[in-house]
Amino acid sequence: MIARAWILVGAVLLLMAGEASAHPVFGITGVRGGLLHPLVVPSHVMSAMALAILIGRQPLGQAMVAVYALGLVAGLCAIAAAYVPTLAEEALLLLAAIAGLLVAWGRPLPWVVVAPLAAAAGLAIGLDSPPEAISIAEANLTLIGTALSGTAFLAVLALLASRLRRDWQRIGLRIAGSWISASAIMVLALRFAGG
Amino acid sequence: MLRVVVAAIVNDMRRAVIGLFAFLFCLAGAAPALAHTGDVTGGFIGGFAHPLFGPDHIAAMVAVGLWGAFLGPPAIFILPIVFPLVMAFGAVLGILGVPVPAVEAGIAVSAAVLGLMVALAARPPLWVAAVIVGTFAIFHGHAHGAELPSGADALAFAAGFVVATGCLHLTGIAFGLLARWPAGRIAVRAAGAVIAVAGLMFLGWLA
Repeated sequence: MIARAWILVGAVLLLMAGEASAHPVFGITGVRGGLLHPLVVPSHVMSAMALAILIGRQPLGQAMVAVYALGLVAGLCAIAAAYVPTLAEEALLLLAAIAGLLVAWGRPLPWVVVAPLAAAAGLAIGLDSPPEAISIAEANLTLIGTALSGTAFLAVLALLASRLRRDWQRIGLRIAGSWISASAIMVLALRFAGG
Repeated sequence: MLRVVVAAIVNDMRRAVIGLFAFLFCLAGAAPALAHTGDVTGGFIGGFAHPLFGPDHIAAMVAVGLWGAFLGPPAIFILPIVFPLVMAFGAVLGILGVPVPAVEAGIAVSAAVLGLMVALAARPPLWVAAVIVGTFAIFHGHAHGAELPSGADALAFAAGFVVATGCLHLTGIAFGLLARWPAGRIAVRAAGAVIAVAGLMFLGWLA
């Protein structure tokens, strides 16, 4: 069952990424464009993966997904209100690095640690998802798609992570956390070095 | 303990691992979203291929996995967790231009030392093994950090680079698990000796 879910997620990502690349820019708008956005932007995918693994191993996983969704909606509402964020992706990378480190650490965490992290990650992803639409109605549809897709993606990944309970599977998740954290740290350094 | 872990892996991993590899294969085959990427060669595939073209890097990474498997749990998973995290610290030093002396020599020495640890069946305390591996990870990270491409696709490159490094660890671990049999133990130690000699050769080429 888990293997089928992984294949399904991978296949969906493959198909969606192929569609996106057919455009010279991320020019797909409307709900479809919004649905694609959290699934094809590397920093969004990696931060969602790290956070999902972290949430999947906590007792209040469903509540944390809801907190993430609230943060995501708040960020998207700020975008809809014409707020122009700065350093949203850098903040997202920082959160991915922290979440990855916590996953690699492999200890149970209190909700007061996970909830702010989930809210901040949702907010950062929302702020880093400005729509490329030519009308307000289309832009709003894109934002709705992003909210739905971003929340569903995190929820599915968290569910998968929560199902991986065997020792070697938990070890694999911790290693994945260290990989995500290492990648995010390197790119953060590159950004702040002016690359 | 090691036997229990191996048995659990063999019994449980088939379907999930096949699914995971299918997932990774799909991701690797996915075309980039162009608004967030620049040079395609700097993406995941470029990053994944990057460590595979450095024989000294390959030898050292495989040696880390071999040694971890040889030491058994928890080193078998602690070392592959420690390495990428400390490697990232080394990469930050490289990106920021902080000089680290004798980086290439350090990488060659890492292959020699880690190979020697396996060949000699060295069993230091876990923290000592982690410090040794972490120290060498700084050299590897510094060397590769300076080569990270700038631009929006740097994250995909870095992810590919880190995943490839992890896969080299897993290769070493997979081979190192042979150590549970007497003949396999000899094979693993011989592999360590080969890596140690290769490390000395890399060092000789630098001289």
